[in-house]
Amino acid sequence: MLEYQNLFTRVQVRTVPEAGISIENADNRIGTGWFSYLAGKFGDAQIGPIYLGTLGVYSLLCGLIAFEIIGLNMWASVGWDLGEFIRQLPWLALEPPPPQYGLHIPPLAQGGWYLMAGFFLTVSIGLWWLRTYRRARALGMGSHLPWAFASAIFLYSAFFIQPLLVGSWSEMVPFGVFPHLDWTAAFSIRYGNLYYNPFHALSIVFLYGSAVLFAMHGATILAVARVGGEREIEQITDRGTAAERSMLFWRWTMGFNATMESIHRWAWWFAVLTTFTGGIGILLTGTVVDNWYLWGVKHGLVSAYPANNVLTPEQQETLRGRYQGTAPDSFPVYQPGSTRPMLAPEEIAPVINAQSIADSLTATGRVSIRAIYFDLGTATTRPESDEQYREIVTFLSQNPNSRVSIVGHTDNVGNAAANDTLSTNRAGYVREQLTTAYGVDSTRVDGVSGMGSRQPAATNDTPQGRRANRRVELVSAPGRNP
Amino acid sequence: MRSIHKASTIRVAAFAPLLVAIAGCIGDRTTDTVQVGYRGVAMEQNYTRGDVKSQFTQVKIPTPLPPAGGSPPGPLPWQNVQVLNDISVAEFNRTMIAMSTWVAGTGNCAYCHNVANFASDTLASGKPLYTKLVARRMLQMTRQINGQYSSHVKNTGVTCYTCHLGKPLPNGLWFYSSQNDYLRHYLDRDGARVISKAVAPSNANRSSVKQTEWTYALMISQSKSLGVNCTYCHNSRQFSSWTQAPPQRVTAFYGIQMLRDVNSNYLSPLQGVYPAVRLGAMGDAPKAQCLTCHNGVYKPLYAAQMAKHYPALWGRADWNGTPFPGIMPSSASATGMPGSPTSPATAPIAPSVAAGAAPGPAGGGLR
Repeated sequence: MLEYQNLFTRVQVRTVPEAGISIENADNRIGTGWFSYLAGKFGDAQIGPIYLGTLGVYSLLCGLIAFEIIGLNMWASVGWDLGEFIRQLPWLALEPPPPQYGLHIPPLAQGGWYLMAGFFLTVSIGLWWLRTYRRARALGMGSHLPWAFASAIFLYSAFFIQPLLVGSWSEMVPFGVFPHLDWTAAFSIRYGNLYYNPFHALSIVFLYGSAVLFAMHGATILAVARVGGEREIEQITDRGTAAERSMLFWRWTMGFNATMESIHRWAWWFAVLTTFTGGIGILLTGTVVDNWYLWGVKHGLVSAYPANNVLTPEQQETLRGRYQGTAPDSFPVYQPGSTRPMLAPEEIAPVINAQSIADSLTATGRVSIRAIYFDLGTATTRPESDEQYREIVTFLSQNPNSRVSIVGHTDNVGNAAANDTLSTNRAGYVREQLTTAYGVDSTRVDGVSGMGSRQPAATNDTPQGRRANRRVELVSAPGRNP
Repeated sequence: MRSIHKASTIRVAAFAPLLVAIAGCIGDRTTDTVQVGYRGVAMEQNYTRGDVKSQFTQVKIPTPLPPAGGSPPGPLPWQNVQVLNDISVAEFNRTMIAMSTWVAGTGNCAYCHNVANFASDTLASGKPLYTKLVARRMLQMTRQINGQYSSHVKNTGVTCYTCHLGKPLPNGLWFYSSQNDYLRHYLDRDGARVISKAVAPSNANRSSVKQTEWTYALMISQSKSLGVNCTYCHNSRQFSSWTQAPPQRVTAFYGIQMLRDVNSNYLSPLQGVYPAVRLGAMGDAPKAQCLTCHNGVYKPLYAAQMAKHYPALWGRADWNGTPFPGIMPSSASATGMPGSPTSPATAPIAPSVAAGAAPGPAGGGLR
């Protein structure tokens, strides 16, 4: 068949669309193909015939489901206002579940939709990978393309494997244009600056290297296209003047040259290693290394430079330790009409009933109460504490001879002296509530004291431990005890 | 097939990126970069060229009213004066006039007062004058800021104008919502630290990327409020490091402490005073953030020295070591104030200002 192929050709041949080689038992392609003038300006003018197959259909279907879940959630987030949806689209997001859910299944609106979208997107990509592999094999090709694609999928999957390794969905990347970019910045900051992650550095080397190789190879072939250089495969088997000229050019300029075959091997490895090293860098982050800057300091990667316009030692001393608190463990949901967010689900503690209070006081002389809830840093209790208050009142009425004193405890977040005051004030507030709002005779509540963070019930290193430490204790007071 | 023309077209097309490269060598002509740390480590501030100059020229500073002179402080001849009772009559009137300019529009006494009875906290109809109740609390807040937070406001101090800029509602007021939850850091949610203090992961820091985004949002709001880059307060190679941080971070730290005081003790408690129209969707009072005072400038009003002309706003007897004339060292008791509410304001108010602007012969009192 007469063919004319050249990168610079402006002639678009119109003839019967080329069918290519025939493939045994899988040749159910759709249509016979057609020509596009515009496509011919960039590449081959022929479009189709297309082979979709079972894998392709299911892949597109799963991709469509993910796309719809993401899009409809974004649309819902602006109250189904189409104008706002279009205007704010770059900033809209479908966010992963908040940290308090760990790896538990969250409600749909709290990241459940996100997990579903992520599942379908992953299935879609996996099916599409299988499709590329099967098509390559069907054509008797090598599997270079599927494996290069697999490297990109490895990086993609690192973004949900790493969250599984550190035990929280909340680490995952939000769906959205700017939100996923913001996530990138936050991820780097959280782990002490990804700049010092050597695999991040390697990934950049291969990324930039890929660009350089791409430019060198593309330029070389374009430059020898006038002598048939774009027919690379022919040049490999029957090295012509194009190959000779381009190889000579690189031997002249850098003393060494790729072959028509090896240049593609270089490019393939550079591209594959970009995503592969990147994925390794992600998987090590938060699992092996928590602060890449400090890792860099430890391994001599961080250069020191003279202190210039930095805090004085006195200022450092003044402020060091003043900012101990970590960011909130949970994210609030506000209800209209309420000035404060709802109590987060994980904050809810079991109510100690009257009988348990009596048992514990008899056995140990004290009982730890966590279902009396305080807002952060305040000494007043939330309305959700009512049930626990009533159990205490019941206990006191069922045991008319009992007297208790109240001891407040805090976690170790913040200033120790302030925590002492706060715990005392909280104990005092509970006493006041009992004796005023709940009508307990004031002689039944002996005294109040606050221990601050000095008697932790659990470790202060975890949110769960800190929650356990934020408590009030009822202690049997001398005198009329049960 | 391939003509000379086509080849030359290609050569010209290849030349275009070169032009871009040459333009790149000339440099960015629209950004001014100011080095703020050690050379070569990107400790720098970027400003859009001309922005600072135009912002600076747009800042309008009201001319200070003529000083009240050294007349002795109190007792004031009015009833129901609860905050400004440690200054002279002249200073009092002068401060009231200035406040009307700063907040309500010149001479608009009726914005806060029942002009038939300046001492009253209600209108003739019995409706509470919420503007007056809020203004009184704001005066206490201003004294708290100027008196207790010199670590943040230094000797420049603040006046009503710093935030209000001549209008009743300052910029950057915020209300509870899930979207700006990070602003609760300025009220009751402590803790912005998310970066670990050790190389290896441990349970000491379980902060997630989402918590980082919470802090990130907080920090970007500060950056925008002050019109500065991250490197104004941080060495961005390790945001958590105090040893590498520029000294401005200390000032910002005290600013956060100040905001927490302002929001929790002065602004939030006014919730019951405001009419519903002034409250947020959750029914909460408007609260302040960095932007409220800074308005996009690293020093509010480019550090114009306004407050030093108004001794009544300091709650103390000196400015930068220089005694204010006619100020009692500490706040006097608000009760048992002698004097008739009908006695005229006798202090010499500067005629040019007094015309149409004096708070009436009945003698106003700020309740």
